[in-house]
Amino acid sequence: MEFKDYYKILGVDPDADNKAIKVAYRKLARKYHPDVSDHHDAEAQFKEVVEAYEVLKDSAKRTEYDEIRQCAGQQQGFRPPFGSAGGHGENQYQGDFADFFSSIFGDEGGSRSSGSAGRRPFGQRGQDIETELPIFLEDTLSDESKEISYHLPRIDSGGRVTKVKKTLKVKIPAGVADGERIRLKGQGGLGVGEGASGDLYIRIRLVPHPLFDVEGHNLIITLPIAPWEAALGAKVTLPTLSGKIQLTIPANSQSGQRLRVKGKGLPSKQRQGDLYAVLKVVMPPSSNEAIKDQWQKLAELAPFEPRAEWSEAS
Amino acid sequence: MNDTELNYLSFSEVCLQTDVAEETVFKIVEQGIIEPIGATPDEWLFSPMMLVVTKKAVRLHRDLKVDWAGIALAIELLDEVEQLREKNRYLQRRLSRFVDM
Repeated sequence: MEFKDYYKILGVDPDADNKAIKVAYRKLARKYHPDVSDHHDAEAQFKEVVEAYEVLKDSAKRTEYDEIRQCAGQQQGFRPPFGSAGGHGENQYQGDFADFFSSIFGDEGGSRSSGSAGRRPFGQRGQDIETELPIFLEDTLSDESKEISYHLPRIDSGGRVTKVKKTLKVKIPAGVADGERIRLKGQGGLGVGEGASGDLYIRIRLVPHPLFDVEGHNLIITLPIAPWEAALGAKVTLPTLSGKIQLTIPANSQSGQRLRVKGKGLPSKQRQGDLYAVLKVVMPPSSNEAIKDQWQKLAELAPFEPRAEWSEAS
Repeated sequence: MNDTELNYLSFSEVCLQTDVAEETVFKIVEQGIIEPIGATPDEWLFSPMMLVVTKKAVRLHRDLKVDWAGIALAIELLDEVEQLREKNRYLQRRLSRFVDM
């Protein structure tokens, strides 16, 4: 088991007073709280900080810890002290923080995470489970049945918490939006005693599409066109989520201009979204002499100053 | 963000699921952190999103020892940060279709 330096975790000196420890803890708790931080490791870091504070704020625990810390400085690795109410039995996980804590202070730390309302007489309600479900844009056009798998915590006959895989078929309604949650009553963790099962929450994640971007219920596609298509107008084939359509580009179009294709966006309860084609004028990669001649003629013929806006500023 | 309508929860269900006293949920509603539909607590309906926010408020209150007014401000700001991040991701994606980044 690896020795954990609680002082290092809180970033305080070993002789820091209670006030300094409290300040350091509060700062780090705000920084790493999983509801505040978007760091992928925030939860683990937050737990470490809480664990460290749990010990250092309590003068009895701190004294005990300081003695162990002194010894740990002189030897390699860390061996839990005799007589500590470990209660965990043989634990194979190395370097797990909670194990380190309970090897010194026993399982009393378990009360830290319990809720404030306490146990109810008729048993305990099962845990709510939240899981993410990636959905392709194409699948939001109509009601779709999706299979989802998730893990439920279960306590086996030996009192150990294991994870059981569960698979369900779920109807995803048409027009679901990114981040939306679907609640499936009673599909979460099993209750204890007469407690009801928890619920399953499915959080919808729209998978980024290679062609379409989502803006509310509208879709946006970037449509590359040649300079002469912008100048003369053109009819092009445009992909939509539900098949290809013909789109007319008006003459004298500009790069960045939006053309609306009504009703080809995403469905919603209020109204069907639209598809916007955003024009992007692209140059041909290289040109031969004949084409260069044509550009040359155009340059002489067209009285066009693309940087007219600059002349006023300079 | 929309919620699927059929999934609304009652006041007592919210208390049960967040494992907090009614009084705590009252405080959260009082601060406008969540706004249940319906005039009286008996009629209150909470969306799944409100349940998520309630749970978050309870965690922040417990772990960071922030009072409820502070929680209301924190959640509002966190929400804003999330929206800005989302907007930024979206604009980055849009921009990358026009220019090399």
